[in-house]
Amino acid sequence: MIECPACKHTEFVGTMYCSECGTRLIHVSPMPTMTIPRDRIEAVALATKPSPPEGPDLESGAILGLRIASSGEIVSLIGRESYTLGRAIAGQAVVPDVDLEPYNAYEHGVSRMHAEIRLKPEGIHVVDLESANGTLINGHRLDPQAPTLVRHGDIIQLGRLRLQLISRYRG
Amino acid sequence: MPGVADFYALLGVPRNAITDEIRRAYRESALRLHPDRNVRPGDTELFLDVNKAYEILADPERRRAYDEELAEYEAELSRSGVFQVNVQHSRRTILELEEPQVHYLLVDINPSPGVSVPRPPVNLCLVIDRSTSMRGQRLDQVRSAAQAILNTLESEDNASIVAFGDTAEVIVSPDHARDQSASRARLSLLQASGGTEIARGLETGLSELSAHFNREGVNHLVLVTDGRTYGDEAQCLEMADRAAKQGITISGIGIGADWNDRFLDDLTGRTGGTTVFLDTPKTVSSLLRRTFDSLSQVFASHLRLEGAFSQQVELRSVFRLLPDATPMADTLPLMLGNLPREGTIRLILELIVHPAAQMTELTLAHFSVVGEIPRLKSGEQRVPVVAVCPLSKEPDASPPPSDIVSALNLIALYRMQEKARHEAELGQSAQAARRLENLAMHLLAAGERDLAKAALSEAGRLVQTRHLSTEGEKRLKYGTRALLLPSKSSAP
Repeated sequence: MIECPACKHTEFVGTMYCSECGTRLIHVSPMPTMTIPRDRIEAVALATKPSPPEGPDLESGAILGLRIASSGEIVSLIGRESYTLGRAIAGQAVVPDVDLEPYNAYEHGVSRMHAEIRLKPEGIHVVDLESANGTLINGHRLDPQAPTLVRHGDIIQLGRLRLQLISRYRG
Repeated sequence: MPGVADFYALLGVPRNAITDEIRRAYRESALRLHPDRNVRPGDTELFLDVNKAYEILADPERRRAYDEELAEYEAELSRSGVFQVNVQHSRRTILELEEPQVHYLLVDINPSPGVSVPRPPVNLCLVIDRSTSMRGQRLDQVRSAAQAILNTLESEDNASIVAFGDTAEVIVSPDHARDQSASRARLSLLQASGGTEIARGLETGLSELSAHFNREGVNHLVLVTDGRTYGDEAQCLEMADRAAKQGITISGIGIGADWNDRFLDDLTGRTGGTTVFLDTPKTVSSLLRRTFDSLSQVFASHLRLEGAFSQQVELRSVFRLLPDATPMADTLPLMLGNLPREGTIRLILELIVHPAAQMTELTLAHFSVVGEIPRLKSGEQRVPVVAVCPLSKEPDASPPPSDIVSALNLIALYRMQEKARHEAELGQSAQAARRLENLAMHLLAAGERDLAKAALSEAGRLVQTRHLSTEGEKRLKYGTRALLLPSKSSAP
């Protein structure tokens, strides 16, 4: 099957126009969407670890930030001991502290409550909140609900959305 | 030319059927046709044919020889045939996949260049709705349009006019059709009253056509209506099927907003005909004129696409693109109606190809285009066509034929409109409205401002009233269909 990039409707391979929204699918892919073995994804993720970010791009007063890997935009995290990451949906009761929807979170497979960043005396922890598509730190998949120590420059990958941690936190 | 019988068609199995399947099909038909049990005359002969077919197909050696003979015979038929059939594929290769894939075929049917035929005699019946709602301009326009057709009849043509309301009667019989003063007087007596009992009108019209059936001509019924028939739909459809078998085509003209477009599409489609939506009766005269002209320019009538698909292949949908744009049934045989002398019947077939075992090419289907050519030759003409596509591991990088792409683009818009209507009927009006807005966006991009406006206004209506307007439904349906016609798609 192939997936319509506009509406996520699945169609048979070879379909030329999405039956749901009319989007042209000819160039989407003449081949079905591949399932890549997990260890291969992790190998790729490891090989492409970028160098630590430079420069103080954080808002004043912020000691933590997340750089969106694809666009370079920076989200500053201010004033809390912990931050939940996910995507907000109108009408939903529980809203994450950091809404990643402006960065195409849904398309990248980010869950509504995907992961949490916790500031602890011993350092910064990332916890996967039993997300659908998992959380990876520098290419290593986290076990759900298991806090993992992260440092400045680490890549936090939510589904397929890659974020780089910017930290001036000293614990 | 000595014919070679198609044993596969006789047993009803695909050409690549394995021996087990052939055996099963043989047992089934042998049981049905055995002289101890059969009832119809001719069944015993059929039983002998089936036996012979099985004898040959069950023996690999003899089957191979027979396959060669059949292929040669069919190739000869296609070379010498009266139709030219051309098949284009959406992709040059079919992917070797472990999941189903979609493949499109664009089938063009043309008259063979060397074959010229004289104008066929036309046997026409106009069946006119004279229910109360036709009163006034509608009936006036239809009456004068009918008179205009009668005035243009040629000596061998036959025409009759039937009117129906609660009952049906022959207003102008073929004997009076050429007598202008008589037919005018008879038509002027036609007054609007009563309901819309389409079955009565059809029955009377078809029996007029049958009584003057012209084996060497074109036999056609035009149904003009502005209302809904209640309770006799199934009866009408049955009559249409019988008419189709006989070689009669039916076309429909729906005036205004209140007729049942789905029913009329189904009714006319079964015979290979088509339905036209008129928002005003003013154009009925020119439409009838065009219908009559096209009948007098028919090359072949009672045209059908017969045949069978291979086991791995199923037919998902069919859309006719020429000479008119209309969705069709999704089972063979397809009734195609009339082939114009200077024109093409163009179909687009959407196939689902299931994973095939190791092979280098896949035979998708064996088709036959079958039809009758008035006057030229007696009997049925048959041109076989084989659709074959090579298999490959790599996707075909070359772009699909532009005719296929542009047709599918517009069919997608037509389908969105159908979906929105369906959703509106299910009460999912918010979703339907969103879909219509999306459709409007696509229509705007295609430069169809009026149609886009109609889609938007229906979307607005859905939000307010939760329903589509009956006129808007038809405007969108026939409007998106009309986009597929050449005069439209070639426009900027």
